Amino acid sequence: MHQQKLKVGMACSRCTEDGAILFSLLVQCMMGLAFGFWMAFNLFSISFIQDPAQTLCLVWVVEFLIAILVYSLFCKYPDQCSYLRAVARGLLSLPAGALVNAFGAIVLGAPVGLQQFPKTLHWSLLMSTFTFVPAACVYGTSWSDWNRIYVRLKPTGVTDFMVSLPAHGAVIGAWFGTWPMPLDWERPWQDWPICVTYGSVAGYIIGMVVSIVLSVAGDRKGLKTE
Amino acid sequence: MRLAGKWDLGRNVKWIGFKWVFLVVLLVHGFAVFFFTRGFLLTRSELSLYSQCDDVYGSPCFSPPRDQNTSQVYWAKPGVDRLVIIVLDALRFDFVAPSTFFAEKRQWMDKLEVLLDHASRNGSAAKIFKAFSDPPTTSLQRLKGLTTGGLPTFIDVGNSFGAPEIVEDSWIQQLAQNGKRVVMMGDDTWVKLFPNHFIRSYPFPSFNVKDLHTVDDGCIQNLIPTLYKKDWDVLIAHFLGMDHVGHIFGVESFPMIDKLEQYNEIIKKVVAVLESQSGPGDLHENTMLLVMGDHGQTLNGDHGGGTAEEVETVLFALSMKKRPIPQLPDADSSDCQLDAKRRRICIGSIQQLDFAATVSALVGIPFPFGSIGRVNLELFSLAGGSWNYEMDNIGFDQSASIVGKWLQDYANVLCINSWQVKRYIDAYSSMSLIGFSDKELLYVSDLYSKAHERWSTTKNFSFGMNQVSVDSSPSVQMLLDAFSLFLESVAKLARSSWTEFNLKLMGLGFCIMLVSFYMHLILIKKLEMLCEHGSWLSNYRMNLLGVNLASFMAIVRACSFLSNSYILKEGRVAIFLLATTCILQLRYAAMKKTRFLEGLLFCSLIILLRFSIELGQLKQAVNSLFLKVDPSQNPSIPLDSWLWMCITEVTQMLSLMILAYILFRSMGSYSSLGISKCIVVITLFNFFLILLFWASDNLIINLDPLLGSMKGNLIPRLTYSAGLLQVILLAVSRWGVTNISNSMEPAAKALALLSAGSSTIIILSGKQGSMILLALAIGGWCISRLSMVNSNKESSQHLLFYVLPVTQWSFLGVCMCSFDGLRYAAAFVGFDEFHLIRQAILLTIDTFGFSLILPVFGLPLLVASSCYSKEKNQCIFIIRLSQVYLIYGLISAITTTFSMLCVTLHRRHLMVWGLFASKFVFDFVALLLTDLIILLCAFFYFE
Repeated sequence: MHQQKLKVGMACSRCTEDGAILFSLLVQCMMGLAFGFWMAFNLFSISFIQDPAQTLCLVWVVEFLIAILVYSLFCKYPDQCSYLRAVARGLLSLPAGALVNAFGAIVLGAPVGLQQFPKTLHWSLLMSTFTFVPAACVYGTSWSDWNRIYVRLKPTGVTDFMVSLPAHGAVIGAWFGTWPMPLDWERPWQDWPICVTYGSVAGYIIGMVVSIVLSVAGDRKGLKTE
Repeated sequence: MRLAGKWDLGRNVKWIGFKWVFLVVLLVHGFAVFFFTRGFLLTRSELSLYSQCDDVYGSPCFSPPRDQNTSQVYWAKPGVDRLVIIVLDALRFDFVAPSTFFAEKRQWMDKLEVLLDHASRNGSAAKIFKAFSDPPTTSLQRLKGLTTGGLPTFIDVGNSFGAPEIVEDSWIQQLAQNGKRVVMMGDDTWVKLFPNHFIRSYPFPSFNVKDLHTVDDGCIQNLIPTLYKKDWDVLIAHFLGMDHVGHIFGVESFPMIDKLEQYNEIIKKVVAVLESQSGPGDLHENTMLLVMGDHGQTLNGDHGGGTAEEVETVLFALSMKKRPIPQLPDADSSDCQLDAKRRRICIGSIQQLDFAATVSALVGIPFPFGSIGRVNLELFSLAGGSWNYEMDNIGFDQSASIVGKWLQDYANVLCINSWQVKRYIDAYSSMSLIGFSDKELLYVSDLYSKAHERWSTTKNFSFGMNQVSVDSSPSVQMLLDAFSLFLESVAKLARSSWTEFNLKLMGLGFCIMLVSFYMHLILIKKLEMLCEHGSWLSNYRMNLLGVNLASFMAIVRACSFLSNSYILKEGRVAIFLLATTCILQLRYAAMKKTRFLEGLLFCSLIILLRFSIELGQLKQAVNSLFLKVDPSQNPSIPLDSWLWMCITEVTQMLSLMILAYILFRSMGSYSSLGISKCIVVITLFNFFLILLFWASDNLIINLDPLLGSMKGNLIPRLTYSAGLLQVILLAVSRWGVTNISNSMEPAAKALALLSAGSSTIIILSGKQGSMILLALAIGGWCISRLSMVNSNKESSQHLLFYVLPVTQWSFLGVCMCSFDGLRYAAAFVGFDEFHLIRQAILLTIDTFGFSLILPVFGLPLLVASSCYSKEKNQCIFIIRLSQVYLIYGLISAITTTFSMLCVTLHRRHLMVWGLFASKFVFDFVALLLTDLIILLCAFFYFE
């Protein structure tokens, strides 16, 4: 009985601590995104609509660097793998995730063709940064964790939230982002990766906010039960 | 075991009449569609009757004297010798009217100053009219209306497919018939409408909306030189730039102002040329210039609907005659105000409906047979004012009697006009399928006879001699009013039956459709209660997810019909939704760790389907007005290259062979008897024949000498008759020999039915048919395998598991459908001569074969694979199957309902006839066909 209480207390103190860290992490990721777009616009003076491939490239590189460095801190099995190994896993997962995302996009109707190839490539790398890289850094190759997060949708704890919710947000946002594409408004942002990217970035941010809210709520709940 | 038997018996007794439910569904849908189309599809029959000069002797009016030179008779004495018509597409009323007529001055107003100058000049025979056009305000329909004087609807019965050539009478036709020479320049729609009527034409493509200047520049180049030539009587110049500028930039833009200024310059030049040649004996002594719009536009540049902005346009008339026009007693109908330069400008009004009759009267040709307009008094007076009277020789006191004389002549013209309209109305009601209502006709006839009574009394008492008494003018005025009343009520009647939708009938159809939803849902639920095994709660949550997903997808697809862009890309939308469900199922399969490979296979199949749809659209986009496909978005495959053709030919043949193999194997797996096996064997033989047929016109291997006798129509006809034989065999096995049918497994039955249909459909749809069928088979297999993941043993009874696969299945059908448009060539596979019913059946089979007939035939396989097993009784299978059919019917009913909603909402939209209505027609035909086939299947499967 006493032991259990102690456990709960410990877990919860870790929770609040995690909450703060989580918050800073999310802020960092968002800053990364913003920084990427800002850099593209101001330093390289390329606009997203005119030159989507290059902008996307810049954004995913910045975002990837931040995500891999930050998420690797939260490695779920720190005794089994060092920080560097987590980083290495994140690096490896990037192309794999990009493949899966590109496959999904093409099944759903993304254009294929030589002209479109760089856009699809960079877009899927960005999506991979949103979805696969954090999971790979945190869970490594643990199939049961991946299954729990992405398939069975039963995240437990703060780390799960902060990996799974933004990833799902990004995918769902991208799915909704495709909707304006067939409309005949003839706006430049209706082209292939642009509105989809807007959708996924919006979904990602919403997912992050929701994960913060949920983990804070979880903290409250933990306190109450104590 | 005995218990189950008892249960079976009881249910059987209760549901023996269940198949009749599908008949009821068919009837309800039929009624809904009937009422809706009756209200929505305005139909007007085109009568290909033409007015002849001599017809006028049949009228009770004075017939004007014959022309001495040509011995031709004029219907009205010509008021002008030559006519220059400048059509400015999408000319808004406020482009021309002075800005003082409006509450606020906008940047595009007062730009066509030359028109205002002439209209305000004292004593000049020029006037601005506000012209009201009738919806649909699209250029093609407006040109038709302007030239024929009728109210074109989009479904003019008698219109041949594709060729828009006008088959009705028009003043262009009359001009050509009476030896007048017409020159046309500008918009090439005119040439399409009147291919043989112009002595010279300078058409320029109107197709590309983004091209602002080609048509206008072409016009300008040819217009001025033509004005100096003698070899024409009527000149038409159609400028298109304003319409295109409106579509692209909108009205509030600088290109629009540039265009207006450009037109101002052109018209200035034209008027200058005309005036320089307008001396006595000169080329343009008695010429009239008409500058007009065919319709207006909204501020965004749209047109097609019936709002004031789109309907109101302008007609400007300028007569070159140097003599004053008669001051008409009722000329105060026009609206006079001072313009920005303090000049007094009067603006008359005219209906575009009246344009054809007025032009005919001006030029002196017979009125077009189908014209229901009235000769416009003001416009007619502009030219006819000094006709035949030597004004210079008469004093002022006599001018009143001149006006009286003129009015009498006008009354005669109106008399002929009314007589011709009455003649058209009578001819129309006797010849068309859907005429006017008897009550309205009676009313109109009554007005006509009253007007004629008045005519005959007035004629006897004041017209008889050439001398005119001043006091006759009130009676003439009353006569004019009587004719006008008749003509106006005819126009009103025509408008109500040709341009106004019957919203009540449409609403009724829509409501019946909603009732049918309710019926479907109740039936599905009732059936569910029958087979309830208490598994509802245990798997409730997971099922609900599937159902929600399925209904979400169905509703998203249905809602996508509300936008034209999504309808155009219907195939891709269906692929998108299908792929979404597939990916979700893939994820689910990954969770269960089974059937992952099937999911992947399905995904790759979807990719292939997608590419083929895009290739098909690429082909279609060439002739489509709305569809735009960017070729850079597709993998660049050299479609014409030899290698590519080789690959496709080989794949097509291979896939046919694979199909045959699959059929052979699956036949072996069922232990059923005689007839179904026999049917499958016939199909295999048919496949062999089809292979030969394809090989006979193969491009790679030339088998001509070998198969010389096989070529042509023999093989297709053999295939058709074999298909018919198979169907008859099936019917015999079902109703004739009860023993056999009882022993047949449902899956074997379904297989027999499928194979009976497939060979005909393959040969109709050409070589790609085999690939599509293979894709359908693989898709069906994947769906059935994937849907098994959802159901564990206990809940395999459960209905809700079927919703998702059935939805997927119907999406797959939609994808299959969107490869090409209607392929008229398919109707002639195996036959050279045209026979309406036979070719219509073939075309229907080809159009709906893959999207509808085969999927409905194949649904029992899907059901059987997941729920039928030998131990269980057949009743459950039947209940499941009827549920599945009901769900399928519900999905297509939802689709059709949303198309209905869409055409109702967009009934005044620019593209309603080009796109929405055709989509709607396609959908309701599909719905009725689905119901019919489901009914047939129900009779086939249910004991």
